[in-house]
Amino acid sequence: MAAEFVPAARSGLSHQLLLPAAGPEAAPLPKQVSRGLHGVISYGELLLQSGDWLLTVADLRGLERQLAAHRLELVGVEGRQALTLVAAAAIGLATHLQQSSGPGPSPDSHNSPDLVIQRGTLRSGDHLQVEGTALVLGDVNPGARVSAGGHVLVWGRLRGVAHAGCHGDPSARIVALQLRPLQLRIAEVIARGPEDSPPQGFCEQAHLVEGMIRIDPAEPGWPPFSG
Amino acid sequence: MGAIIWGTSGKHVTSAQNRTILICSGKGGVGKTTLTANLGIALAKQGARTAVLDADFGLRNLDLLLGLENRIVYTAQEVLSGSCRLEQALVKHKQEPNLSLLPAGNPRMLEWLTPDDMKKIAGLLAEQFDYVLIDCPAGIEDGFKNAAAACREAIVVTTPEVSAVRDADRVIGLLQTREIEPIQLVLNRVRPRMMANQEMLSVSDVTDILALPLLGLVLEDDQVIISTNRGEPLTLNGTRSPAGQAYTNVARRLRGEEVPLADPTKEGQGLRAKLGRLMHTKIF
Repeated sequence: MAAEFVPAARSGLSHQLLLPAAGPEAAPLPKQVSRGLHGVISYGELLLQSGDWLLTVADLRGLERQLAAHRLELVGVEGRQALTLVAAAAIGLATHLQQSSGPGPSPDSHNSPDLVIQRGTLRSGDHLQVEGTALVLGDVNPGARVSAGGHVLVWGRLRGVAHAGCHGDPSARIVALQLRPLQLRIAEVIARGPEDSPPQGFCEQAHLVEGMIRIDPAEPGWPPFSG
Repeated sequence: MGAIIWGTSGKHVTSAQNRTILICSGKGGVGKTTLTANLGIALAKQGARTAVLDADFGLRNLDLLLGLENRIVYTAQEVLSGSCRLEQALVKHKQEPNLSLLPAGNPRMLEWLTPDDMKKIAGLLAEQFDYVLIDCPAGIEDGFKNAAAACREAIVVTTPEVSAVRDADRVIGLLQTREIEPIQLVLNRVRPRMMANQEMLSVSDVTDILALPLLGLVLEDDQVIISTNRGEPLTLNGTRSPAGQAYTNVARRLRGEEVPLADPTKEGQGLRAKLGRLMHTKIF
Protein backbone atom coordinates (compact mmCIF):
# COMPACT_ATOMS: atom_id res chain seq x y z
CA MET A 1 0.00 0.00 0.00
CA ALA A 2 1.19 3.50 -0.78
CA ALA A 3 -0.28 6.94 -1.03
CA GLU A 4 -1.90 7.57 -4.40
CA PHE A 5 -1.26 10.70 -6.42
CA VAL A 6 -4.20 11.89 -8.53
CA PRO A 7 -3.34 14.70 -10.94
CA ALA A 8 -5.83 17.53 -11.43
CA ALA A 9 -8.19 16.92 -14.35
CA ARG A 10 -7.86 20.53 -15.43
CA SER A 11 -5.93 23.56 -14.42
CA GLY A 12 -7.53 25.52 -11.59
CA LEU A 13 -8.15 22.33 -9.63
CA SER A 14 -5.69 20.92 -7.13
CA HIS A 15 -3.88 17.64 -7.48
CA GLN A 16 -4.82 15.17 -4.80
CA LEU A 17 -2.88 12.79 -2.63
CA LEU A 18 -4.91 9.90 -1.25
CA LEU A 19 -3.59 8.13 1.82
CA PRO A 20 -4.36 4.43 2.09
CA ALA A 21 -6.35 3.04 5.01
CA ALA A 22 -4.76 3.88 8.35
CA GLY A 23 -3.96 1.10 10.79
CA PRO A 24 -1.28 -0.39 13.02
CA GLU A 25 0.35 -2.21 10.08
CA ALA A 26 0.43 0.80 7.78
CA ALA A 27 3.89 2.09 6.90
CA PRO A 28 4.83 5.50 8.36
CA LEU A 29 3.63 8.56 6.49
CA PRO A 30 6.93 9.69 4.86
CA LYS A 31 7.44 6.26 3.34
CA GLN A 32 3.85 6.14 2.02
CA VAL A 33 4.24 9.55 0.45
CA SER A 34 7.64 8.94 -1.14
CA ARG A 35 6.26 5.79 -2.78
CA GLY A 36 3.14 7.62 -3.93
CA LEU A 37 5.11 10.50 -5.44
CA HIS A 38 7.58 8.27 -7.22
CA GLY A 39 7.71 9.27 -10.87
CA VAL A 40 5.18 12.10 -10.51
CA ILE A 41 6.05 15.04 -12.77
CA SER A 42 3.08 17.32 -12.06
CA TYR A 43 3.55 20.34 -9.84
CA GLY A 44 1.32 22.96 -8.23
CA GLU A 45 -1.26 22.92 -5.48
CA LEU A 46 -2.14 19.72 -3.73
CA LEU A 47 -4.99 18.59 -1.53
CA LEU A 48 -4.35 15.82 0.97
CA GLN A 49 -7.05 13.21 1.47
CA SER A 50 -6.04 12.04 4.92
CA GLY A 51 -8.86 9.56 5.49
CA ASP A 52 -8.57 8.12 8.99
CA TRP A 53 -4.95 9.11 9.54
CA LEU A 54 -4.18 10.96 12.75
CA LEU A 55 -1.58 13.55 11.79
CA THR A 56 0.13 16.07 13.99
CA VAL A 57 1.55 19.47 13.06
CA ALA A 58 4.99 17.84 12.86
CA ASP A 59 3.69 15.20 10.46
CA LEU A 60 2.20 17.84 8.23
CA ARG A 61 5.35 19.99 8.28
CA GLY A 62 7.34 16.91 7.25
CA LEU A 63 4.87 16.24 4.47
CA GLU A 64 5.19 19.84 3.24
CA ARG A 65 8.96 19.44 2.98
CA GLN A 66 8.58 16.19 1.11
CA LEU A 67 6.11 17.76 -1.31
CA ALA A 68 8.31 20.82 -1.82
CA ALA A 69 10.99 18.53 -3.25
CA HIS A 70 8.44 17.72 -5.98
CA ARG A 71 7.43 21.38 -6.42
CA LEU A 72 4.04 20.56 -4.89
CA GLU A 73 2.40 22.86 -2.37
CA LEU A 74 0.06 21.52 0.30
CA VAL A 75 -2.98 23.78 0.36
CA GLY A 76 -5.61 21.76 2.15
CA VAL A 77 -6.50 18.64 4.06
CA GLU A 78 -9.70 16.67 3.80
CA GLY A 79 -10.29 13.81 6.22
CA ARG A 80 -12.42 12.15 8.84
CA GLN A 81 -10.16 12.81 11.89
CA ALA A 82 -11.02 16.09 13.56
CA LEU A 83 -7.61 16.22 15.30
CA THR A 84 -5.79 16.01 11.95
CA LEU A 85 -7.86 18.88 10.67
CA VAL A 86 -7.16 20.95 13.79
CA ALA A 87 -3.43 20.45 13.22
CA ALA A 88 -3.83 21.40 9.56
CA ALA A 89 -5.80 24.51 10.42
CA ALA A 90 -3.13 25.48 12.94
CA ILE A 91 -0.55 25.76 10.17
CA GLY A 92 -2.88 27.71 7.92
CA LEU A 93 -4.23 25.00 5.63
CA ALA A 94 -7.79 24.81 4.37
CA THR A 95 -9.65 21.93 5.96
CA HIS A 96 -12.77 19.95 5.32
CA LEU A 97 -14.26 17.34 7.62
CA GLN A 98 -15.72 14.28 5.93
CA GLN A 99 -18.51 12.39 7.62
CA SER A 100 -17.66 8.72 7.98
CA SER A 101 -20.01 6.99 5.60
CA GLY A 102 -19.96 3.34 6.48
CA PRO A 103 -17.01 1.03 6.20
CA GLY A 104 -14.34 1.71 3.61
CA PRO A 105 -15.63 4.72 1.68
CA SER A 106 -14.06 4.72 -1.76
CA PRO A 107 -11.53 7.50 -2.12
CA ASP A 108 -12.18 7.46 -5.88
CA SER A 109 -15.65 8.85 -5.40
CA HIS A 110 -14.13 12.31 -4.95
CA ASN A 111 -12.55 12.25 -8.38
CA SER A 112 -15.13 10.46 -10.47
CA PRO A 113 -17.19 13.55 -11.41
CA ASP A 114 -14.05 14.89 -13.10
CA LEU A 115 -14.01 12.14 -15.69
CA VAL A 116 -17.18 11.16 -17.50
CA ILE A 117 -16.99 8.07 -19.68
CA GLN A 118 -19.38 7.82 -22.60
CA ARG A 119 -19.57 4.26 -23.85
CA GLY A 120 -20.65 4.03 -27.46
CA THR A 121 -20.73 6.26 -30.49
CA LEU A 122 -22.22 9.74 -30.37
CA ARG A 123 -24.47 10.06 -33.38
CA SER A 124 -25.66 13.10 -35.30
CA GLY A 125 -27.68 15.39 -33.04
CA ASP A 126 -26.24 14.02 -29.81
CA HIS A 127 -24.60 16.57 -27.53
CA LEU A 128 -22.48 15.33 -24.64
CA GLN A 129 -21.92 18.06 -22.04
CA VAL A 130 -19.54 17.37 -19.21
CA GLU A 131 -18.17 19.50 -16.37
CA GLY A 132 -14.84 17.70 -16.13
CA THR A 133 -13.07 15.62 -18.75
CA ALA A 134 -15.03 13.64 -21.32
CA LEU A 135 -13.81 10.25 -22.50
CA VAL A 136 -15.75 8.83 -25.45
CA LEU A 137 -15.26 5.13 -26.06
CA GLY A 138 -16.49 5.15 -29.65
CA ASP A 139 -16.77 7.61 -32.49
CA VAL A 140 -18.09 11.15 -32.50
CA ASN A 141 -19.99 11.22 -35.79
CA PRO A 142 -20.52 14.27 -37.99
CA GLY A 143 -23.31 16.35 -36.50
CA ALA A 144 -22.58 15.27 -32.92
CA ARG A 145 -20.97 17.54 -30.30
CA VAL A 146 -18.89 17.05 -27.19
CA SER A 147 -18.37 19.92 -24.76
CA ALA A 148 -16.23 19.49 -21.68
CA GLY A 149 -14.98 21.84 -18.99
CA GLY A 150 -11.75 19.82 -19.12
CA HIS A 151 -10.27 17.71 -21.87
CA VAL A 152 -12.04 15.82 -24.63
CA LEU A 153 -10.61 12.35 -25.21
CA VAL A 154 -12.02 10.22 -28.03
CA TRP A 155 -11.07 6.57 -28.28
CA GLY A 156 -12.29 6.43 -31.86
CA ARG A 157 -12.84 8.82 -34.73
CA LEU A 158 -13.68 12.43 -33.98
CA ARG A 159 -15.71 13.69 -36.95
CA GLY A 160 -18.10 16.06 -35.23
CA VAL A 161 -17.53 19.16 -33.13
CA ALA A 162 -15.48 19.09 -29.94
CA HIS A 163 -15.15 21.88 -27.39
CA ALA A 164 -12.57 21.40 -24.66
CA GLY A 165 -12.22 23.85 -21.78
CA CYS A 166 -15.68 25.23 -22.46
CA HIS A 167 -15.56 27.27 -19.25
CA GLY A 168 -12.46 29.02 -20.48
CA ASP A 169 -9.59 26.68 -19.59
CA PRO A 170 -6.91 27.29 -22.28
CA SER A 171 -4.82 24.30 -21.23
CA ALA A 172 -7.55 21.82 -22.19
CA ARG A 173 -6.77 19.45 -25.01
CA ILE A 174 -8.65 17.36 -27.56
CA VAL A 175 -7.20 13.95 -28.26
CA ALA A 176 -8.58 11.35 -30.67
CA LEU A 177 -7.40 8.17 -32.33
CA GLN A 178 -8.43 9.79 -35.59
CA LEU A 179 -8.83 13.55 -35.53
CA ARG A 180 -11.06 14.50 -38.43
CA PRO A 181 -13.36 17.09 -36.84
CA LEU A 182 -15.75 19.52 -38.49
CA GLN A 183 -14.72 22.12 -35.95
CA LEU A 184 -12.54 22.32 -32.88
CA ARG A 185 -12.92 24.70 -29.98
CA ILE A 186 -10.60 25.14 -27.05
CA ALA A 187 -11.69 27.74 -24.49
CA GLU A 188 -12.72 30.72 -26.68
CA VAL A 189 -10.69 29.75 -29.76
CA ILE A 190 -12.46 28.19 -32.72
CA ALA A 191 -10.87 26.40 -35.67
CA ARG A 192 -12.20 24.48 -38.65
CA GLY A 193 -10.99 20.90 -38.99
CA PRO A 194 -8.22 20.07 -41.44
CA GLU A 195 -9.39 19.65 -45.04
CA ASP A 196 -7.13 16.77 -46.01
CA SER A 197 -7.18 13.29 -44.54
CA PRO A 198 -5.17 12.75 -41.38
CA PRO A 199 -2.28 10.28 -41.44
CA GLN A 200 -3.46 6.74 -40.82
CA GLY A 201 -2.75 5.11 -37.52
CA PHE A 202 -1.54 8.12 -35.58
CA CYS A 203 -3.32 9.37 -32.53
CA GLU A 204 -3.45 13.17 -32.62
CA GLN A 205 -4.07 15.97 -30.18
CA ALA A 206 -5.25 19.52 -30.58
CA HIS A 207 -4.10 22.15 -28.09
CA LEU A 208 -3.60 25.87 -27.85
CA VAL A 209 -0.22 27.21 -28.88
CA GLU A 210 0.10 31.00 -28.70
CA GLY A 211 -3.62 31.49 -28.99
CA MET A 212 -4.03 29.19 -32.01
CA ILE A 213 -5.31 25.64 -32.10
CA ARG A 214 -2.58 23.34 -33.29
CA ILE A 215 -2.74 19.63 -34.12
CA ASP A 216 0.26 17.49 -33.21
CA PRO A 217 0.90 13.80 -32.75
CA ALA A 218 -0.43 12.84 -29.34
CA GLU A 219 1.99 12.34 -26.45
CA PRO A 220 2.05 8.73 -25.24
CA GLY A 221 2.28 9.76 -21.57
CA TRP A 222 -0.68 12.09 -21.63
CA PRO A 223 -3.10 12.45 -19.88
CA PRO A 224 -1.06 11.59 -16.79
CA PHE A 225 -3.65 9.54 -14.96
CA SER A 226 -2.06 7.31 -12.40
CA GLY A 227 -3.34 4.13 -10.84
CA MET B 1 -10.35 1.20 -44.58
CA GLY B 2 -13.07 0.20 -42.18
CA ALA B 3 -14.90 -3.07 -42.29
CA ILE B 4 -17.93 -3.45 -44.45
CA ILE B 5 -20.16 -6.04 -42.97
CA TRP B 6 -21.06 -8.01 -46.03
CA GLY B 7 -24.16 -10.09 -45.52
CA THR B 8 -22.74 -13.00 -43.66
CA SER B 9 -24.74 -15.49 -41.72
CA GLY B 10 -25.37 -14.68 -38.12
CA LYS B 11 -25.44 -10.95 -38.74
CA HIS B 12 -29.07 -11.01 -39.69
CA VAL B 13 -31.67 -12.11 -37.25
CA THR B 14 -33.58 -15.18 -38.20
CA SER B 15 -36.12 -15.67 -35.43
CA ALA B 16 -39.31 -17.04 -36.85
CA GLN B 17 -42.02 -15.63 -34.64
CA ASN B 18 -43.73 -12.42 -35.56
CA ARG B 19 -41.37 -9.64 -36.47
CA THR B 20 -42.59 -6.08 -36.45
CA ILE B 21 -40.12 -4.02 -38.41
CA LEU B 22 -39.93 -0.26 -38.71
CA ILE B 23 -38.74 1.04 -42.07
CA CYS B 24 -37.38 4.52 -41.59
CA SER B 25 -34.76 6.96 -42.84
CA GLY B 26 -35.11 10.39 -41.30
CA LYS B 27 -34.75 12.16 -44.62
CA GLY B 28 -37.62 12.02 -47.10
CA GLY B 29 -37.43 10.64 -50.59
CA VAL B 30 -34.73 8.05 -50.03
CA GLY B 31 -36.99 5.07 -50.68
CA LYS B 32 -38.77 4.01 -47.49
CA THR B 33 -42.13 3.41 -49.11
CA THR B 34 -40.58 1.76 -52.17
CA LEU B 35 -38.65 -0.58 -49.91
CA THR B 36 -41.73 -1.34 -47.82
CA ALA B 37 -43.81 -2.20 -50.88
CA ASN B 38 -41.14 -4.30 -52.58
CA LEU B 39 -40.05 -6.04 -49.41
CA GLY B 40 -43.68 -6.77 -48.54
CA ILE B 41 -44.30 -8.38 -51.91
CA ALA B 42 -41.01 -10.29 -51.84
CA LEU B 43 -41.64 -11.69 -48.35
CA ALA B 44 -45.17 -12.68 -49.32
CA LYS B 45 -43.90 -14.40 -52.47
CA GLN B 46 -41.46 -16.35 -50.33
CA GLY B 47 -44.41 -17.68 -48.37
CA ALA B 48 -44.43 -15.45 -45.28
CA ARG B 49 -47.72 -13.94 -44.15
CA THR B 50 -46.94 -10.26 -44.38
CA ALA B 51 -48.75 -7.07 -43.48
CA VAL B 52 -47.65 -3.59 -44.44
CA LEU B 53 -48.88 -0.70 -42.33
CA ASP B 54 -48.74 2.82 -43.64
CA ALA B 55 -47.77 4.99 -40.67
CA ASP B 56 -47.26 8.03 -42.87
CA PHE B 57 -50.69 9.45 -42.17
CA GLY B 58 -49.91 12.91 -43.42
CA LEU B 59 -48.59 11.92 -46.84
CA ARG B 60 -49.72 8.39 -47.44
CA ASN B 61 -48.77 6.62 -50.61
CA LEU B 62 -47.97 3.02 -49.79
CA ASP B 63 -51.40 2.12 -51.19
CA LEU B 64 -50.44 3.84 -54.47
CA LEU B 65 -47.21 1.91 -54.83
CA LEU B 66 -49.01 -1.36 -54.24
CA GLY B 67 -51.77 -0.46 -56.69
CA LEU B 68 -54.42 -0.84 -54.00
CA GLU B 69 -55.67 2.72 -53.71
CA ASN B 70 -59.10 2.03 -55.21
CA ARG B 71 -59.78 -0.96 -52.96
CA ILE B 72 -59.61 0.83 -49.64
CA VAL B 73 -62.85 0.81 -47.70
CA TYR B 74 -61.80 1.15 -44.07
CA THR B 75 -58.52 2.40 -42.61
CA ALA B 76 -56.51 2.11 -39.41
CA GLN B 77 -58.62 4.97 -38.09
CA GLU B 78 -61.83 2.92 -38.15
CA VAL B 79 -60.05 -0.04 -36.59
CA LEU B 80 -58.90 2.12 -33.70
CA SER B 81 -62.26 3.75 -33.15
CA GLY B 82 -63.88 0.32 -33.13
CA SER B 83 -66.19 1.03 -36.04
CA CYS B 84 -64.81 -1.93 -38.00
CA ARG B 85 -62.85 -5.10 -37.41
CA LEU B 86 -59.23 -5.41 -38.48
CA GLU B 87 -60.13 -7.99 -41.13
CA GLN B 88 -62.48 -5.51 -42.78
CA ALA B 89 -59.83 -2.83 -43.04
CA LEU B 90 -57.06 -5.06 -44.35
CA VAL B 91 -56.70 -4.90 -48.13
CA LYS B 92 -55.39 -8.14 -49.63
CA HIS B 93 -53.06 -7.70 -52.56
CA LYS B 94 -54.76 -8.77 -55.78
CA GLN B 95 -51.92 -10.97 -57.07
CA GLU B 96 -50.14 -11.85 -53.85
CA PRO B 97 -52.72 -12.93 -51.27
CA ASN B 98 -50.05 -13.42 -48.59
CA LEU B 99 -49.69 -9.64 -48.45
CA SER B 100 -52.18 -7.32 -46.80
CA LEU B 101 -52.15 -3.56 -46.46
CA LEU B 102 -53.56 -1.68 -43.51
CA PRO B 103 -54.13 1.78 -45.00
CA ALA B 104 -53.48 5.04 -43.20
CA GLY B 105 -56.50 7.03 -42.14
CA ASN B 106 -56.98 10.65 -43.00
CA PRO B 107 -54.25 13.17 -42.22
CA ARG B 108 -56.15 14.50 -39.22
CA MET B 109 -55.27 11.31 -37.36
CA LEU B 110 -51.96 13.01 -36.66
CA GLU B 111 -53.73 15.27 -34.19
CA TRP B 112 -54.87 12.58 -31.82
CA LEU B 113 -52.87 9.42 -32.53
CA THR B 114 -50.70 8.28 -29.61
CA PRO B 115 -47.88 5.73 -29.37
CA ASP B 116 -50.31 3.45 -27.55
CA ASP B 117 -52.67 3.52 -30.52
CA MET B 118 -49.86 2.40 -32.78
CA LYS B 119 -48.91 -0.34 -30.34
CA LYS B 120 -52.49 -1.52 -30.35
CA ILE B 121 -52.68 -1.71 -34.14
CA ALA B 122 -49.30 -3.43 -34.41
CA GLY B 123 -50.33 -5.88 -31.71
CA LEU B 124 -53.48 -6.80 -33.64
CA LEU B 125 -51.47 -7.32 -36.82
CA ALA B 126 -48.85 -9.38 -35.01
CA GLU B 127 -51.48 -11.96 -34.09
CA GLN B 128 -52.16 -12.77 -37.72
CA PHE B 129 -48.94 -12.16 -39.62
CA ASP B 130 -45.35 -13.38 -39.64
CA TYR B 131 -44.00 -10.02 -40.75
CA VAL B 132 -45.43 -6.58 -40.05
CA LEU B 133 -43.63 -3.83 -41.95
CA ILE B 134 -44.34 -0.30 -40.77
CA ASP B 135 -43.68 2.45 -43.29
CA CYS B 136 -42.46 5.31 -41.14
CA PRO B 137 -42.95 8.97 -42.09
CA ALA B 138 -39.92 11.14 -42.75
CA GLY B 139 -38.69 13.29 -39.88
CA ILE B 140 -38.24 12.54 -36.20
CA GLU B 141 -41.37 14.14 -34.80
CA ASP B 142 -44.57 12.58 -33.49
CA GLY B 143 -45.19 10.43 -36.56
CA PHE B 144 -41.81 8.81 -36.16
CA LYS B 145 -42.21 8.42 -32.40
CA ASN B 146 -45.60 6.77 -32.78
CA ALA B 147 -44.33 4.34 -35.38
CA ALA B 148 -41.16 3.54 -33.42
CA ALA B 149 -43.17 2.77 -30.29
CA ALA B 150 -44.81 -0.14 -32.08
CA CYS B 151 -41.65 -1.83 -33.35
CA ARG B 152 -39.00 -4.13 -31.98
CA GLU B 153 -36.59 -3.98 -34.87
CA ALA B 154 -35.83 -1.57 -37.66
CA ILE B 155 -34.43 -1.20 -41.13
CA VAL B 156 -32.84 2.17 -41.86
CA VAL B 157 -32.83 3.20 -45.51
CA THR B 158 -30.29 5.69 -46.74
CA THR B 159 -28.71 6.81 -49.99
CA PRO B 160 -25.00 7.51 -50.48
CA GLU B 161 -25.44 11.23 -49.90
CA VAL B 162 -24.10 13.24 -47.01
CA SER B 163 -27.49 14.63 -46.00
CA ALA B 164 -29.26 11.27 -46.06
CA VAL B 165 -26.45 9.63 -44.07
CA ARG B 166 -26.52 12.44 -41.50
CA ASP B 167 -30.26 12.06 -40.99
CA ALA B 168 -29.99 8.28 -40.86
CA ASP B 169 -27.32 8.62 -38.16
CA ARG B 170 -29.65 10.78 -36.07
CA VAL B 171 -32.49 8.30 -36.47
CA ILE B 172 -30.25 5.38 -35.52
CA GLY B 173 -29.30 7.22 -32.33
CA LEU B 174 -32.97 7.72 -31.48
CA LEU B 175 -33.81 4.09 -32.22
CA GLN B 176 -30.96 2.92 -30.02
CA THR B 177 -32.22 4.96 -27.07
CA ARG B 178 -35.53 3.14 -27.54
CA GLU B 179 -33.63 -0.14 -27.40
CA ILE B 180 -34.84 -1.21 -30.82
CA GLU B 181 -32.65 -4.14 -31.86
CA PRO B 182 -31.46 -5.17 -34.39
CA ILE B 183 -31.18 -2.16 -36.66
CA GLN B 184 -30.07 -3.04 -40.17
CA LEU B 185 -29.13 -0.90 -43.11
CA VAL B 186 -30.30 -0.78 -46.72
CA LEU B 187 -28.23 1.44 -49.00
CA ASN B 188 -30.48 2.65 -51.77
CA ARG B 189 -29.93 4.33 -55.14
CA VAL B 190 -26.32 3.28 -55.47
CA ARG B 191 -24.66 4.41 -58.72
CA PRO B 192 -21.68 2.12 -59.29
CA ARG B 193 -20.04 4.37 -61.84
CA MET B 194 -20.15 7.43 -59.61
CA MET B 195 -18.83 5.35 -56.73
CA ALA B 196 -15.98 4.06 -58.87
CA ASN B 197 -15.10 7.64 -59.83
CA GLN B 198 -15.34 8.68 -56.17
CA GLU B 199 -18.06 11.20 -56.97
CA MET B 200 -20.39 9.53 -54.49
CA LEU B 201 -19.91 8.29 -50.94
CA SER B 202 -18.65 4.73 -51.11
CA VAL B 203 -20.28 1.81 -49.34
CA SER B 204 -17.54 1.82 -46.73
CA ASP B 205 -17.88 5.60 -46.21
CA VAL B 206 -21.51 5.00 -45.26
CA THR B 207 -20.98 1.90 -43.15
CA ASP B 208 -18.03 3.56 -41.39
CA ILE B 209 -20.29 6.27 -40.06
CA LEU B 210 -23.47 4.33 -39.46
CA ALA B 211 -21.81 1.14 -38.16
CA LEU B 212 -24.76 -1.13 -38.91
CA PRO B 213 -24.91 -4.51 -40.63
CA LEU B 214 -25.71 -4.04 -44.30
CA LEU B 215 -28.89 -5.83 -45.28
CA GLY B 216 -28.81 -4.82 -48.90
CA LEU B 217 -27.48 -2.61 -51.67
CA VAL B 218 -30.00 -1.37 -54.19
CA LEU B 219 -28.73 0.06 -57.45
CA GLU B 220 -30.22 3.16 -59.00
CA ASP B 221 -32.74 1.84 -61.49
CA ASP B 222 -35.17 3.58 -63.86
CA GLN B 223 -37.54 0.66 -63.50
CA VAL B 224 -38.34 1.81 -59.97
CA ILE B 225 -40.02 4.95 -61.31
CA ILE B 226 -41.99 2.99 -63.88
CA SER B 227 -43.14 0.44 -61.33
CA THR B 228 -44.14 3.17 -58.88
CA ASN B 229 -46.27 4.88 -61.49
CA ARG B 230 -47.94 1.60 -62.39
CA GLY B 231 -48.54 0.51 -58.83
CA GLU B 232 -46.71 -2.77 -59.44
CA PRO B 233 -43.68 -3.31 -57.20
CA LEU B 234 -40.64 -4.67 -59.01
CA THR B 235 -40.56 -7.81 -56.92
CA LEU B 236 -44.07 -8.74 -58.03
CA ASN B 237 -43.49 -10.42 -61.38
CA GLY B 238 -39.91 -11.48 -61.10
CA THR B 239 -38.45 -8.81 -63.34
CA ARG B 240 -34.72 -9.12 -63.60
CA SER B 241 -34.15 -5.45 -63.02
CA PRO B 242 -31.19 -4.83 -60.68
CA ALA B 243 -33.33 -3.07 -58.09
CA GLY B 244 -35.98 -5.79 -58.13
CA GLN B 245 -33.35 -8.44 -57.52
CA ALA B 246 -31.80 -6.40 -54.75
CA TYR B 247 -35.16 -6.10 -52.97
CA THR B 248 -35.75 -9.83 -53.30
CA ASN B 249 -32.32 -10.44 -51.80
CA VAL B 250 -33.08 -8.08 -48.91
CA ALA B 251 -36.15 -10.19 -48.17
CA ARG B 252 -34.14 -13.40 -48.30
CA ARG B 253 -31.49 -12.02 -45.96
CA LEU B 254 -34.17 -10.78 -43.62
CA ARG B 255 -35.51 -14.33 -43.45
CA GLY B 256 -32.07 -15.61 -42.52
CA GLU B 257 -30.85 -16.88 -45.87
CA GLU B 258 -27.23 -16.32 -46.69
CA VAL B 259 -27.10 -14.25 -49.86
CA PRO B 260 -23.77 -12.63 -50.66
CA LEU B 261 -23.80 -8.90 -51.33
CA ALA B 262 -22.60 -7.94 -54.78
CA ASP B 263 -19.77 -5.48 -55.12
CA PRO B 264 -21.46 -2.40 -56.63
CA THR B 265 -18.37 -1.34 -58.57
CA LYS B 266 -18.46 -4.59 -60.56
CA GLU B 267 -22.21 -4.78 -60.89
CA GLY B 268 -23.83 -5.08 -64.30
CA GLN B 269 -20.81 -4.26 -66.40
CA GLY B 270 -20.70 -7.50 -68.35
CA LEU B 271 -22.20 -7.63 -71.83
CA ARG B 272 -24.62 -10.32 -70.75
CA ALA B 273 -25.98 -8.24 -67.92
CA LYS B 274 -26.44 -5.29 -70.24
CA LEU B 275 -28.21 -7.37 -72.89
CA GLY B 276 -30.30 -9.05 -70.26
CA ARG B 277 -31.39 -5.72 -68.93
CA LEU B 278 -32.31 -4.47 -72.40
CA MET B 279 -34.42 -7.57 -72.98
CA HIS B 280 -36.30 -7.09 -69.75
CA THR B 281 -36.76 -3.38 -69.87
CA LYS B 282 -40.42 -2.64 -69.92
CA ILE B 283 -41.74 0.40 -71.66
CA PHE B 284 -45.27 1.60 -71.13
